[in-house]
Amino acid sequence: MRAFLAIVRVTLRQVLGGKRWILLGLLSFVPAVVMWFSSANATADEAFVLYHEAPLGLLLLIVLPVVALVIGAGAIGDERRDATLSFLLLRPIRRATIVGAKFVAAWLATTLIVAAAGGLASAVVSLRTDSWQTLGPTVVALALSSAAYTAVFLVLGHLTSRAVLVGLVYVFIWESGFTYAAPGLANVSLSRIGLTAYAALVPDSTRLLADPLGSLTPGVGGALTKALVIAAACVLFGGFLLKRGDAAAE
Amino acid sequence: MTTSPAVVANPTVEAREVSKWFGQKVAVSDVTCSFGPGLTGLLGPNGAGKTTLLRMICGLLSTSDGSVSIHGTDPRRDHRVYRTVALVPEEDAVYGFLSARRFVTYAADLSGVSRAGVDEAIALVELISAADRPIAEFSKGMRQRAKVAAALVTDPDVLVLDEPLNGTDPVQRAHLIEIFKRLARSGKTVIVSSHVLAEVERMADRVIAIVDGRLAAAGDIHAIRQAMADIPYRLRIDIEQPRRVAARLIDSDNVSSVTVTGQTLRVETSDLPALGTELPRLAKDLGVRLTVFEPEDESLESVFRYLVRRRK
Repeated sequence: MRAFLAIVRVTLRQVLGGKRWILLGLLSFVPAVVMWFSSANATADEAFVLYHEAPLGLLLLIVLPVVALVIGAGAIGDERRDATLSFLLLRPIRRATIVGAKFVAAWLATTLIVAAAGGLASAVVSLRTDSWQTLGPTVVALALSSAAYTAVFLVLGHLTSRAVLVGLVYVFIWESGFTYAAPGLANVSLSRIGLTAYAALVPDSTRLLADPLGSLTPGVGGALTKALVIAAACVLFGGFLLKRGDAAAE
Repeated sequence: MTTSPAVVANPTVEAREVSKWFGQKVAVSDVTCSFGPGLTGLLGPNGAGKTTLLRMICGLLSTSDGSVSIHGTDPRRDHRVYRTVALVPEEDAVYGFLSARRFVTYAADLSGVSRAGVDEAIALVELISAADRPIAEFSKGMRQRAKVAAALVTDPDVLVLDEPLNGTDPVQRAHLIEIFKRLARSGKTVIVSSHVLAEVERMADRVIAIVDGRLAAAGDIHAIRQAMADIPYRLRIDIEQPRRVAARLIDSDNVSSVTVTGQTLRVETSDLPALGTELPRLAKDLGVRLTVFEPEDESLESVFRYLVRRRK
């Protein structure tokens, strides 16, 4: 446990260090700014609808995946790039423990940023509607999808040095493209994990989210299970890769 | 029964017929060697395969062929072996945003050893005054010492150091060598790689030399030194009328071969001082101007290539 916590602490400093934190912080303001201007003259009902049309989509389809990609892929990818991976591997620790700690740190960092982004956007809605009903569900939705995204991108960062490029293709082609074009694919969309939880927690939103939800049934339990299964599978697979692969190239 | 000087009687670390190739490139080829308590130098020119061999020994790289073990265990199969092993890698494998103290503490936490030894390890490498500064601000030599402290804090039985003296000044170098020797005297297995023969001579009695990924020589450092005594030196000589000079040099007892390329002579000699006396005299006799007289391949690489040729 001591080694696990030590890795979490150092990884948090690693992934949130430098200019990365500033860039991701700026990105996290975008949904709130969009919500502020688009709902400037809107009634409470209109503002509620607007939130589900743009800012929530921005949060789940752009802000979250990009933040998760940069942080998740960097959690192990940075160690490989900086040649510090051997510092971790030459320890009496299970490989899955190393990947698990990396995942927890990356998930915490990603969730911290996107929850702030979601909180700000929800705060704007609350100002317009006099209701805080979207705040909690937004944070829960982001935290759940964040777990899935971060875990997948963590492994991606271990597999390729071009993880950000590959990840962006995945986000914009698959998540924002195919899974909308073919509703049957919504089941394998990482952003929909959070969306199903959100729809269950904000029943009034179900009709507004009918398109992205498709045939998915709103529910927190199902979303939590999916996120946990994906995270666990990625951690175990990442551990396997660390054990089997070469930690240093030629 | 004869035993190879590359193996020891009671090894803690063994590499058996180990090879490693990256695509078409063979980095290490069929190397069998072992290491026991004491300090062993792993010597070879840059790109010889030392780092690859050390990484295989530590389990950071898989072997393409052959096997490695530490205390009889394959490090890639059982991570618990890392309770007894520490590596100081050649590259700057440090977290620049951590201070030296936090870096060494991190190493202690990861290895599950007490933090009580952190200050002692930092003091041992004489970094106490800089212990709370970020490593990113350190010089190359200070980073090397921080890495050594992070290795020492785990109190390893087997300490593997890949070019640990790179970037250190002479005083730091002497200090680190003394630390390595002290650890070796206390019964630890210390493996130090270097491409500088003089460095290894100062540290190790036993040497394993690698060239082009192959075992070139092994055993007592003095025996290897002796084997090098008859290595011919290659010299580059830029001189006027090189063909006339070459014709005279070829008759000299001090010269074993001469080739002419443009205004340059390439000469092999086993008696460098004698040729150094003879050549200026010859230039004066012939009335030609000598502009360059320099050893062409005094590098360790050429020395070891010679050893490899001799083995064959």
